[in-house]
Amino acid sequence: MVNGFAPATLQEALAIRAAQDVTPYAGGTDLMVENRRGVSYLFLSKIPELRQITVDDTCVRIGAAVTFTEALADERVPQIMRDALAGIAAPAIRNAGTFGGNLGNGSAKADSVLVEFALDAKLRLVSLSGERIVPVEQFYLGRKKLDLHSDELIAEILLPKTGWENYYYEKVGGRNALAISRVAFAGVLRMENDRIVDLSAAFGAVADTVLRLKDAEGMLIGKTVAEAKAAKEAFLSRYEQDLTLTRGRVSAEYRKAVCLRLLQAFLEKFGI
Amino acid sequence: MNGISFTLNGREVTYTGSAADRLLDVLRRDYGCTSVKCGCKEGECGACAVLVDGVLLNSCCVAMGAVDGAAIVTMEGYCKTERFAVLDRAFADLSAVQCGFCIPGMVLAAEALLAKNPHPTEAEIREGLSGNLCRCTGYNAIVNAVENAAKEGNGLW
Repeated sequence: MVNGFAPATLQEALAIRAAQDVTPYAGGTDLMVENRRGVSYLFLSKIPELRQITVDDTCVRIGAAVTFTEALADERVPQIMRDALAGIAAPAIRNAGTFGGNLGNGSAKADSVLVEFALDAKLRLVSLSGERIVPVEQFYLGRKKLDLHSDELIAEILLPKTGWENYYYEKVGGRNALAISRVAFAGVLRMENDRIVDLSAAFGAVADTVLRLKDAEGMLIGKTVAEAKAAKEAFLSRYEQDLTLTRGRVSAEYRKAVCLRLLQAFLEKFGI
Repeated sequence: MNGISFTLNGREVTYTGSAADRLLDVLRRDYGCTSVKCGCKEGECGACAVLVDGVLLNSCCVAMGAVDGAAIVTMEGYCKTERFAVLDRAFADLSAVQCGFCIPGMVLAAEALLAKNPHPTEAEIREGLSGNLCRCTGYNAIVNAVENAAKEGNGLW
């Protein structure tokens, strides 16, 4: 075809990716809005290796060309992710949009990427010379800035099978459907023997990349709920001080206020 | 150089233009499918929705290279079906059409919904049509029409 390649296998796709100047195309929902002139697309949606959801001992592995509609209907996909997917745009967009595309577009407003940050997801990147497994926070560096080599493709998103059950997810958009996130939040709390052993709080759509403040998260780790409650004020003011947000469709002040309210709602959901 | 082959409303066609062209533009310009409306070119309004292998997609957000081998249905083909006749009657009975610009996308969204879920609740209908904007009707008449079509067309979906 003119200005495009439609390989049948991943191997073929990687050979084309290495040899040609191509833009990987999965669902097209972001690329076609840009509608770049003179672009040559590498169509990935028919490659079986990229279209599967599989589960191993520790991970749910989602192929980069799996659509949001497909993942929404799959009970093996963590519920926190499915909550986020249900809030993306509308059916016709979810029928096309993919996990790899949401990542590859390099926007901090990508709702599936926010959950990947909250779950410490890893990405499997492949090329003819092998593969790399990269934590999402090391992959997603800033607006349109990704740690993806010019011969690589995103193959899979690896989500933890368990550990996400205590979660809080909220998206604030201009309306229910077809809305880009103004602020989105995904938080996960893991308790063992009445103590917090892990806490993540991820903020989407408020800066160049999804934000997590690991030092601040650490303030509540090791504490019981009662101890966490006592430390809550200091915890929240740490976020108030350290969250550096940019202005977008809404002001930085508005974003900051909503971020703090969502963080508070997350804690309150678990009695903190 | 091979072209991009697909079926359009049951007819086999081959497109020899760029794989990066928009399906929306090609359907209107090269194949005369003017029921496919261009509302926003951003995937935000649903006026250009078509069925690709039975799946509802906004044709403004689909590149031609992605439909190689696919079966595409637009209102030009769908209007010849029995299911359409039921939806057509229901929309007319309830005056669910005013200016009509959103209606081809709206009807195909209804088809996609009913094909998956023949007896949807009102909430499911609203969700199924949530990607299709209408600036005239206020939606209620459309939602009621789809509800009626599901009842009247019992067994068709």
